[in-house]
Amino acid sequence: MNLAELKPGVHAVITDLSKTDRMVNKRLRDLGVTAGTLICLRSVMPLGGPCCFESCGECIGIRRAEAETIDVECDTHWKSL
Amino acid sequence: MEVALIGNPNTGKTSLFNYLTGSYALIGNWSGVTVEKKVGRLKNRDGLLIDLPGIYTVAPLSKDESVTSRFLIDNHFSQIVNIVDASQLERNLQLTIELLELGKPVVIALNMMDVAKHRGMEIDRLSLSKLLRVPVIPIVARSGRGCHLVSESLSASAADRPHTFRIDYGSESERAISRLSLFFPESGVNRRWLAIQALEGNKDARNRIQSETDRNDAIEASCDLRKALQENGQAETVSDWFYQIRKKYIHEIIRQVVRHREEMNQTALSTKIDALVTNKFAGIPLFLGIMYLIFHITFEWIGNPLSNLLDAFFSGPLTDWTRQALNAAGVATVIRDVVLNGIIAGVGGVIVFVPQIFVLFFFLSWIEDSGYMTRVALVMDRLMQLVGLNGKAFIPLVIGFGCNIPGVMAARTIEQPKERLLTVLISPLMSCSARLTVYSLFAGVFFARYQALVVLSLYALSIVLAMLMAKLFSLFMKKETSVFVLELPPYRLPNLRTIMRSTWDKAKGFVRKATTFILGGTILVWALSYFGTAGANVPLDHSFLAMICGFLAPLVAPLGFGSWQAASALISGFMAKESVVSTLSMVYHTAAAGSLTESIRQSFTPLQAYSFMVFTLLYIPCMSTVPAIKHEVGSTKLTLFTMGYCVALAYTVSFIVYRLGLLAGF
Repeated sequence: MNLAELKPGVHAVITDLSKTDRMVNKRLRDLGVTAGTLICLRSVMPLGGPCCFESCGECIGIRRAEAETIDVECDTHWKSL
Repeated sequence: MEVALIGNPNTGKTSLFNYLTGSYALIGNWSGVTVEKKVGRLKNRDGLLIDLPGIYTVAPLSKDESVTSRFLIDNHFSQIVNIVDASQLERNLQLTIELLELGKPVVIALNMMDVAKHRGMEIDRLSLSKLLRVPVIPIVARSGRGCHLVSESLSASAADRPHTFRIDYGSESERAISRLSLFFPESGVNRRWLAIQALEGNKDARNRIQSETDRNDAIEASCDLRKALQENGQAETVSDWFYQIRKKYIHEIIRQVVRHREEMNQTALSTKIDALVTNKFAGIPLFLGIMYLIFHITFEWIGNPLSNLLDAFFSGPLTDWTRQALNAAGVATVIRDVVLNGIIAGVGGVIVFVPQIFVLFFFLSWIEDSGYMTRVALVMDRLMQLVGLNGKAFIPLVIGFGCNIPGVMAARTIEQPKERLLTVLISPLMSCSARLTVYSLFAGVFFARYQALVVLSLYALSIVLAMLMAKLFSLFMKKETSVFVLELPPYRLPNLRTIMRSTWDKAKGFVRKATTFILGGTILVWALSYFGTAGANVPLDHSFLAMICGFLAPLVAPLGFGSWQAASALISGFMAKESVVSTLSMVYHTAAAGSLTESIRQSFTPLQAYSFMVFTLLYIPCMSTVPAIKHEVGSTKLTLFTMGYCVALAYTVSFIVYRLGLLAGF
């Protein structure tokens, strides 16, 4: 599943970032978000607006279209947290 | 001694800069507050400190980041203070490594240790210092604790010869690095560092290679390395590979210096606030509500009562005292007139709005400092995208409400050239605080009961028109994919001292302008109104001013304000928007014995006044903003275009407002 399909408040691990736009990819990497990073979706704006997720105690906002290119995996272990 | 201050965005660089230099620079809680380098003299020390825009890596993505990249390559500094956010140690160290590789002496200022502690991180700074072999000094940049130690450690490290910091990037990469480093001239900048930067894709580093054939060789070498890395399945790009190697190195350091304890749930409040302000439905209404509240407080509760007191003082006691003093001194009539009818009436007319400006700036600074601004950018992104902009463009536009010049400059944080240009083009439409004086005057006279609402309508109009113009311009521009990655910093309780300083700094500019630009303009306008073809002290209607502006008046007559007085106000308004008020005060003050508000009430109808406000809002960027626009867009043609479209837009919109108003029977 991808990041945009997550439910707010659910924790997941990023599995693949290679499909994202090159610039977005680099900026996310700058912010410490790479494959293997644990994230948690916080909120989604209406009408296809951006969404924001938390990673390493920090909130990051990206567009819905970009979120759809980021693959994540909902780990059952993290769900229980 | 030139010391460069470098760090990730929003880590407290500017706060540290202010403590170390004793000067004051703008602070905000969002990435990209510093868009140009600022130089300050170090306190108690001989040397300069250079504050540079925040970066995550040396290789730049946006225009403000390339300021830092180029600065490092140009090499006009002797040491680096690297400010590191302890709560985000891992990603901050990525930049630290690049700085260490450069080979200049580095001092690490470890900021936000308290935040790190709240997140359950215990950092052993002595081991960190030992491992990186540089001084590590814990500071609290917001309160200034520990900052003097940074300054003291500078002298010590300057004498030390820096050790060579080196990470092994693997045999293939190392071969490419040594090959590339030969292309760089022996210029004092570490050649290995330049080679690494060039391989990572830093264009500024590549441009350092003098001959074109060498440059092509260098690009080829990076391609070869990339292919090799891809074949080995190590990484997709060179910069990815370097990132991974550094990450491994950093993990080893973190393992040794950071101890994790039970996490305290301190982010809960931030999360709760975010759940509200970035709520699907509540986000935008909440923002509008906050803005309305700010205007309401600014005008109805604090600003106007104070302004009225000031106004009463200027037109009453001050004028009387001055008249008596001048009469007693026996100065010539012409001098008495210029002081009373020119300077006191004109400049005083502007000064009375200082309370409103202060209060508005206070709240804008509050929003900037608290971290709410980036949430607004997030909430607004969808809307901005519709017109070809980026949510981030919203920040420069809101800053433009204070003053268009920093607004235009703040546009640099936008990564895409097209979105950046669009933002600069529409930012003169943002209703800056100088225009506020005009609204305060007119709304106070004609719409006393609905003042906040009327003024808010003008602000809303400026945003709506800016959006429409952005849409229009974007139709003529090349399509470009847009990047939007936004860091939402944790909320901070705004520091009252920071806010007061930032408010004072902005308002100071306003006062300074009133006593220089506006004073000069006022005297000029007064002179034009005092002299005429018949000599000095002519009736106002026969003055040079009336003659010159009488030509222009018919042009704006279809908009509802065809008097030469209005035209003269608009002409001098190009100098500074406050001059509209000072000129009006003067031409009406000289004409009638009654107060300014009374003469204005007689000369305009409410509808004409509204049309005049709309025209003032839009008609032209002021004289000080024009060079800022020129600097950002980089072409005279586009600058002239910006001025031209503003005039055309102002004319059209005022015309529509006035005619529709007439039809509606106002």
